[in-house]
Amino acid sequence: MNLKTNSWRLLVALTALMVVASCGGTTPGTTSKGTVTVAGFNFPESSILAQVYGQALAHDGYTVNYKLLLGTRPIVTTAIKAGQVDLYPGYAASELEFFNKGAGEATSDPAATTAKLNTYLQPAGLVALTPAAAVDANAFAVPQATADKYKLAKLSDITPAIASQLVFGAGPECPTYKFCLPGLKSVYGLTFKAVKTLDTDGSLTRAAFKNGSIQIGLVFTTDADLKGLGLVVLEDDKHMTAADNVVPIVRQTVATDNVKAVLNSIDAKLTTADLVSMVDQVANQHKDADAVATAWLQQHNYSS
Amino acid sequence: MAFLGGVWQWLSDPAHWSGANGIPQRLVEHIQLSAESVAIGALIALPIGILLGHYGRFGNLAINVSNVGRALPSFGILVIAFQVFGLGDFPIVLSLTALAIPPMLTNSYVALREVDADVKDAARGMGYRELTQVLRVELPLAVPLVMAGVRTSAVQVVATATLAALISGGGFGRYIIDGLAQQDFTKLFAGALLVALLAMATELSLSWLERVLVPRGIRLLNAPVSSKAATFKTA
Repeated sequence: MNLKTNSWRLLVALTALMVVASCGGTTPGTTSKGTVTVAGFNFPESSILAQVYGQALAHDGYTVNYKLLLGTRPIVTTAIKAGQVDLYPGYAASELEFFNKGAGEATSDPAATTAKLNTYLQPAGLVALTPAAAVDANAFAVPQATADKYKLAKLSDITPAIASQLVFGAGPECPTYKFCLPGLKSVYGLTFKAVKTLDTDGSLTRAAFKNGSIQIGLVFTTDADLKGLGLVVLEDDKHMTAADNVVPIVRQTVATDNVKAVLNSIDAKLTTADLVSMVDQVANQHKDADAVATAWLQQHNYSS
Repeated sequence: MAFLGGVWQWLSDPAHWSGANGIPQRLVEHIQLSAESVAIGALIALPIGILLGHYGRFGNLAINVSNVGRALPSFGILVIAFQVFGLGDFPIVLSLTALAIPPMLTNSYVALREVDADVKDAARGMGYRELTQVLRVELPLAVPLVMAGVRTSAVQVVATATLAALISGGGFGRYIIDGLAQQDFTKLFAGALLVALLAMATELSLSWLERVLVPRGIRLLNAPVSSKAATFKTA
């Protein structure tokens, strides 16, 4: 037998094997209710929430794809408006101030804020569902040494004179994000010495605090590791930030009654304490976001 | 077309030419990072390459190490360096220097090897000692290839220095990274364009430097016959 014939037979056999193997993939009898692509912002809490929503939908029979750590709010909203993702876990007040271009309509009432948000989402083909009780708002932290030096306990303690000596650090979306620099300017009248572009409450921000290159930075109210890093959160006494309750933003074509029911039942059970605990497990104990999400869902019996 | 018009508008807006995020400031930062990395890389790579090339020893080792070095991902080194050393210029310069070394090392080794054995022999016969031979005979002959290595390194480093913005560094990469995060594609494109222009400027200026450094005799040797006839007196 010559070598060429042998190689041909081998090739045919392998190809047949691969075709058969790929055919055997689908289990007969299980049909998916549809495909949902879930996106998340580029910080751990968003990955956890995306996993919670996604796994609840998967448990209910949907095929779920994930695009986690997709980017900042401008990036994620561009993706959902273009139909490249179907759902992302938003924060009511922040979403409203993003879609209304910083008009200042968000209040501390999550229901009213979400209703106003929906007036802007409607024409974009999106819908915000029922907000959860869980809140994660922007907060501003300083190192303990800075707080002691200038006697800072709340944001209004920072006078313009003090502000001109502090370097501020946040993510790249901060200069146009209502609950960041513009809000600090309009509500507290603060202009800082310099603004350093880091990340959204991530490792760059913490490294910058550590080596002293920033004296005030953006953190989240659900961060559990701040005390351990020697950072103290300044109280937002003039209520610059508003009701940043977790709320799923969904494309209208994907928001069927069943999807809405599943997601709203999750929101009914989600509390701020849950968020703090889950973020702590992922960010500080280095557990996987999907494992932490599964644990929470199982504890709360998924969406039932 | 309207998009390019928007980019042109962005580049000609005077607000973008002043301040901490202005083009001149970012240009200075970008050049600083690139120049530091290429200089340190040259200080490490050139002596080693020249020495190994002159003695003709460990050539394979040098070239292989260099090739492995080329395969190292600059982004990966940058993030690891950030974890170890924290924020600042050091992690950036470290990863860019790692990028700059391989082309200069390989090129300087090969350049010295390529010097005509007869010329080296003649120099030895005339009484040149080791160091003088390298400096006055071999290096001038090797300049074109060595400078090609330096040019390659410099252009690669300038193009890759955009990574600095990933760990809160400066330079034109800032426009690219921030433009993406803010979905401001005009800024992103303008930043990319500025990097490309800077890389081309680097290439051109180093080519000019090479012309200056190549000995007149060698330049004339490679020149067309017509200019040679006028330069050398024949009778």
